[in-house]
Amino acid sequence: MWRYLYLHWLRLKESGSIFANELYRIFHDPGVILIFFVATLVYPFLYKAMYWNEQITNIPVAVVDLSNSPESREFLHKWNAAPDITLAYSCASMEDAEELLRDQKVHGIIYFPRDYAKQLADPLGQAHISLYCDMSSFLYMKGIYLSCNMVMLESLRNIQIDRYQKIGYSEEFSWELVQASPYTETTLFSPTGGYGSFLIPAVLVMVLHQTLFFGICMLAGTVREERKELYRLPGRKRGYSAFRTIFGRGAAYFLIYYALAAILLGFLPRLFDLPHVGSIIDILSFNVPFILSVIFMSICVGFFIRNREAGFVLLISTSLVFLFIAGISWPKEMIPVGWRVASWFIPYTWAANGFIHINSMGATLWQTRVDYIALWVLTAGYFALAILMFLIAGYRQDRKESRRDDVLKADLLSESFGTVYQTGG
Amino acid sequence: VLIREVKIILSRPLYLTSSVGAVMVSMFFFMTLMEGGVAEDMPVAVVDLDQTSISRRLIHEMQATPSVDVKIITNSFPEAREAMQQGKIYGIFIVPEGFYRDIASFKRPRMDFYITNAYTLGGNTAYKQMITVANLVSGAFQREVLRKKGMPDDVILKRIQPVKIEGHMLSNPWGNYTVYLVSTIMPGIIGLIALMLTIYSIGSELKNRTSRDWLKLAGENYTVAMIGKLIPYTIIYQALGIACHIILYNIADFPVQGSHTRLLLGLLLFIMAMEIMGIVIIGCIPILRDSLSVGALYAMLGFSLSGFTYPNMAMLPFIRALSYLEPLRHYYLIYVNDALLGAPPINSTPHALALAAFIIPALAVAPRLHHALIHQNYRLK
Repeated sequence: MWRYLYLHWLRLKESGSIFANELYRIFHDPGVILIFFVATLVYPFLYKAMYWNEQITNIPVAVVDLSNSPESREFLHKWNAAPDITLAYSCASMEDAEELLRDQKVHGIIYFPRDYAKQLADPLGQAHISLYCDMSSFLYMKGIYLSCNMVMLESLRNIQIDRYQKIGYSEEFSWELVQASPYTETTLFSPTGGYGSFLIPAVLVMVLHQTLFFGICMLAGTVREERKELYRLPGRKRGYSAFRTIFGRGAAYFLIYYALAAILLGFLPRLFDLPHVGSIIDILSFNVPFILSVIFMSICVGFFIRNREAGFVLLISTSLVFLFIAGISWPKEMIPVGWRVASWFIPYTWAANGFIHINSMGATLWQTRVDYIALWVLTAGYFALAILMFLIAGYRQDRKESRRDDVLKADLLSESFGTVYQTGG
Repeated sequence: VLIREVKIILSRPLYLTSSVGAVMVSMFFFMTLMEGGVAEDMPVAVVDLDQTSISRRLIHEMQATPSVDVKIITNSFPEAREAMQQGKIYGIFIVPEGFYRDIASFKRPRMDFYITNAYTLGGNTAYKQMITVANLVSGAFQREVLRKKGMPDDVILKRIQPVKIEGHMLSNPWGNYTVYLVSTIMPGIIGLIALMLTIYSIGSELKNRTSRDWLKLAGENYTVAMIGKLIPYTIIYQALGIACHIILYNIADFPVQGSHTRLLLGLLLFIMAMEIMGIVIIGCIPILRDSLSVGALYAMLGFSLSGFTYPNMAMLPFIRALSYLEPLRHYYLIYVNDALLGAPPINSTPHALALAAFIIPALAVAPRLHHALIHQNYRLK
């Protein structure tokens, strides 16, 4: 019994030596240090700086007001008060405005036709406003359209009320008619509604996911290149242990990345003043399967990488694919079934959505259990897969080597026999 | 040198898989990811506290609109809020208690709606649709009342909407997200791979200690060696770029207002600028593995800095200045000028010149890299 336990203790100690060995390799590899520590700590700050302003304000818009009436001027005055846009130029003709747009001096044009005021004065007229929008960024369109629409709705009501009063309805009754049911809109989870508050949490998860992924693949490629064996215990010529190797290496990565994840996902949202309504304990618990599943997935992928640099070049474009397949920028409901199923195998999909639910929307771990459990399932699955692959590869390697040893022995034997024979002769 | 390089490319599968393979896969991915490119049927919840024929009709009307899909109908707000926290819905529409009674007695009951900000596109789509529905409610009520007063329908319509906005989304009238995204992201991916493979192919010469053979073949001439090495790659990338261009603008029929030739010329300049940045990086750090890491970090930043998602004008001044160090920023501006705006070529010229100017730092590091190629005096790892 004691002997049995002691044996196990010895085996665990071997895991420990793999763990120490892996840590040594990480800290003696500038390329990996750059990816693991510099990138993870610098990228968040760069993104925060990029999205510092959160909102796009004062998008320049050109005005072509052919009606030149008090009504159109009032409309423009109201619109100009909106933070999103600023009326930068007033043009005499559409051609002039189009030229400004082509020169990127403005990103939108508002056009009042000549009969705008006349139509409004006519009790049954319908006035038209044309709005032209630069589509080079969706955020221009959003800012211009939404703010203009708001002003339009407001003037629309005022005009209706004016007209009803003219046909003898009371003001109160006109309001009851025009807006029988007013509404209040509330945006939840991000008081500023900014782009950074939306994107940076997803970027933080992406930075952790991809640097860990690339780093592990680079380390795996290095080992391959140096013809050391991934699945052999250090200092041993024979025998392999998939479980102990993976356990030991995984522990080394986990130690580093759990700390990094605590900084990036726990501390930075607070430092950056991003939404952070989630419980820190939930985030720390959520990080456990997140980091583990990425580690084991990367160990599985790293298995196929024969050369350190090649792996990096091949895998670099996965970042963009992972980002979009996860359904953050583009809603997941609009992603075809095939790609959605593919996305389930990528830890990022669950991790990013789960983190947003907890951190930005204040869900509890229980409420986002689907993502949490999915990450554990991926952890278990990739761990099992890694062990299986290591066992097969280790077994093959042993067979190959023992065959080579046999040949070697036979050669030695025949050689010595030859010597004996010669001396004998 | 050229022949030697072609042989290297053919001898190692990495070059073709990572360039042709990766570009094809990403192209296929982005073209099929966003069916139609317009967000439709975004799931929302309606909290129906009224539960009358009117509130049911409102739900029905909302269900009939293309952009939202009423996934959850409940009478408990916490339930809807939890669904939102789980990412199941993008908006909550609340019909207050006694809505029917109050609206019929002209008491102007207030509707509330809540929109998530944690998912921008879904939240926005739900938001626009909810405003429309809320206005429709008032419009429908107005119509009923006026009808009872005996007003004819065509007059009512003019009464209800005295002002109308006609929106024109220039060059992308459908508001298609794919057009907008793929047009910049695909060249970006080609450029990213161009940068990485340039670092890789020069770095490998250092790593495998073959750089002297390479130089010897070029008659010890650094410039000849570099140009000879990069020609085959440039041809591959430009061919990929043209293939993407044909798929995007000829087969998928994405809009191009200006000239295709200029757009492709811009792409060529962009690819060359990315290759040159590869030379600059490997020249500064003549250690293959480290410079690959640096190259990856630099190129990935280009996607955000180019400003095609979050406009450059809203960035801090020093970040805006930084963005001009990314070739993708210049390519994006050429694309906007030529494809979207149909601007005269003079508008794109500064960006084309800027892309050409990337040669300057490459000249600056040339002596250092030349030295490294001859002496191979840097560590391997």
